[in-house]
Amino acid sequence: MDFILAGFIEAIRLLFGGDSQTWSAVAATVKVSSGSMVASLILGIPLGFVLGYFDFPAKRQARLLVDTALALPTVFIGLVVYAFISNRGPLGEMGLLFTLPGIAIGQTILALPVVTALSATAVESMDRHLRTLLISLGASRRQLLLSSLWEVRYGVLAAGLTAYGRVMTEVGISMMVGGNIKWHTRTITTAIALETGKGMFATGIALGLVLIAIAFSVNVCLSFLRKK
Amino acid sequence: MPQPIYRIENLVHRYNSQPVLVVDRLEIEPASILGLVGPNGSGKSTLLKLMAFILRPTEGQILFDGMPAAPFDESVRFQVTLLTQEPYLMKRTVFKNIAYGLKVRGDRENWTKPVRDALAMVGLDPNTFSRRQWDELSGGEAQRVAMAARLVLRPRVLLLDEPTTSVDAASSELIRAASLRARSEWGTTLVIASHDREWLYDVCDEVIHLFKGKPAGTGRSNMIFGPWIPEDNGLCYKLLGDGRRLTVSAPPNADATAFIDPADIRILGKGEETATANTVSVDGTVTRLSLERQSGDLFADVRAGSLTLIVRVAESHLAAMTLHRGWPVTLAYRPDSIRWQ
Repeated sequence: MDFILAGFIEAIRLLFGGDSQTWSAVAATVKVSSGSMVASLILGIPLGFVLGYFDFPAKRQARLLVDTALALPTVFIGLVVYAFISNRGPLGEMGLLFTLPGIAIGQTILALPVVTALSATAVESMDRHLRTLLISLGASRRQLLLSSLWEVRYGVLAAGLTAYGRVMTEVGISMMVGGNIKWHTRTITTAIALETGKGMFATGIALGLVLIAIAFSVNVCLSFLRKK
Repeated sequence: MPQPIYRIENLVHRYNSQPVLVVDRLEIEPASILGLVGPNGSGKSTLLKLMAFILRPTEGQILFDGMPAAPFDESVRFQVTLLTQEPYLMKRTVFKNIAYGLKVRGDRENWTKPVRDALAMVGLDPNTFSRRQWDELSGGEAQRVAMAARLVLRPRVLLLDEPTTSVDAASSELIRAASLRARSEWGTTLVIASHDREWLYDVCDEVIHLFKGKPAGTGRSNMIFGPWIPEDNGLCYKLLGDGRRLTVSAPPNADATAFIDPADIRILGKGEETATANTVSVDGTVTRLSLERQSGDLFADVRAGSLTLIVRVAESHLAAMTLHRGWPVTLAYRPDSIRWQ
C-alpha cells in the first residue's frame, strides 16, 4: 500500500514541480484532443441535426450505423487509421504516422459517432411545437435551423462532453497511430500505460490526476456557460 | 368590395395519405373575425397551420392578398402569425422570447418599448416579467407572453388555435381582450378556433363549423354525436340522462352525427301540446340567453340532461318575455329536419 501513497505524493511533486516530461504529455493530450473535438463537433453537430430533424429514406439504417459506430473499439480505429496513413497506405505520402495530427484523425473518428448520435437524440427530443413557433414568428429556413439548434444547446453540449471524455481517455489510437514517442506523441494515457509497465506508479498516478483535473476544468467551464 | 386577404381553393390536406381536411372554397375579408368550431380532430388546427403557412397543402392552394403563397415565402412570412393552444416558449428570457420576431425581421431598433407595450397589452408588468426565464412562469403567464410575442409584430393576420383552453379565467380574458384590441387598433384579421362557442358567436363576423375535416355550415348549430338506439317506430333516440331522450330520424349509421338548426327547434308555449304529428319534444331548462351580433336574433341555451341545445327564440316569446334563466321549457322539433353526417 505504501507505494500507492508514495505515488500520490510523487504526483503532487511532479505536477507542482513543473516536471517537463509530465507537462509534455499534458500538452500533447490537450493539443490532440482539442483538434479532434473541433473536427468532430464541426462535422457531428450538422450530421446529428440532419439525422434527428429530417425524415429521409434510409434514415433508420443511417441511425443504426451511427449507433453501432458508438461501440467502435479504439484499437480497431487505430488499426484502420494506421493502415491508411502508413507508408503503404493510400494516405502514406502525407506523413501522418506517428504524429499528433495522425492521432487527431483517429480520435475524430472515435468522437464523431458520439457527437452525431447524441446530437440527433437531442434534436429528436426537441419539442414539436418549436418549429411551429419559429415559423409563425417569421423565421427563415436558416433562422429556423440555427434557432432550433440553439434550443437544444444543452443536449449538444452533453454530446460534446461525452465525446470529449472518450477522446481524453482512449489509449488504443494514441498508442498505435502516435507510437508513444517521448517529447513528441506521448499523451497522458499512453504515458500512464508506459509508466505503469515500468513500475513507475508515481508518474502514472500524477498523469492520471492531471487527466482528471483537465476533465474537471472543462466541465466547470461548461457548467458556467450553461448557467449563463 | 375589398380583395379577400385569404382565398382557399380546392384545398385537400392528407396525413399518411388519409385526407384530414377538405375545403372547396373559403374567403376571408381583411380585418374580419372568423371563428372555427368543431370537435377535436375536425381539422381546425390543420386549417390554421395551413393558413399560417407552416404546412404546405397536399392539394389546392391558398391565395394571400390574391397571390398563391407557400411556407417561408417573403410575401407571408412577416404578415401572418399563429398562437397555439399549448403555452410554448423558447428557452430564453421573456424579453428575448418577445423580441425574437422583431429580430428575425432584421429590426435593429430598440426593442425595449415594443416589448414593454406588448407585455402591458396582455396584462403583464414589464418590470417584473421582462427578465424572467421561460421556466419561471405559470401556464397562464406563459401563454400571455406567447401572445405578446405575436402582438409585438402587429401582424396583419393573427391565427388563434384554442388560445385559452389551458389557461385560467383571468389570463383567458386578457388574451381575448388583447386579440380584439389588435383588430380594432391595427385592423388585424383574426381567425379563432375555440370550443367556447358563445365567445365566438359574440365576437366573430362569421363562425364556420368543421366536422371530420370539412366545413359543415356556418352560424349556430346543434351538433349531436351518437350512438343512436333504434325505436320500434323507425325513429332512433339518444339517452340524455334524467330519463330524457332525444328522438331523431333514422341515422345513416349508429354513430352518425346529427345537426339540428336552432331555427328548427321551437320552445312550446304554455298549454301547447308537447308533441303533435311529425314533431317530437324534449324537456329542458334555459341556462343562457344570448344575442347574435350580426342578425340581432336571440338564442337560448337549453340544458336537457347531458346535452345543451341552442334554440332560436321566436318573436312571440320575446314579446311575452316568458324566458328566463333557470326556466323549465319544452322543446319541439321535427325529426325529419335533422341533417346527418
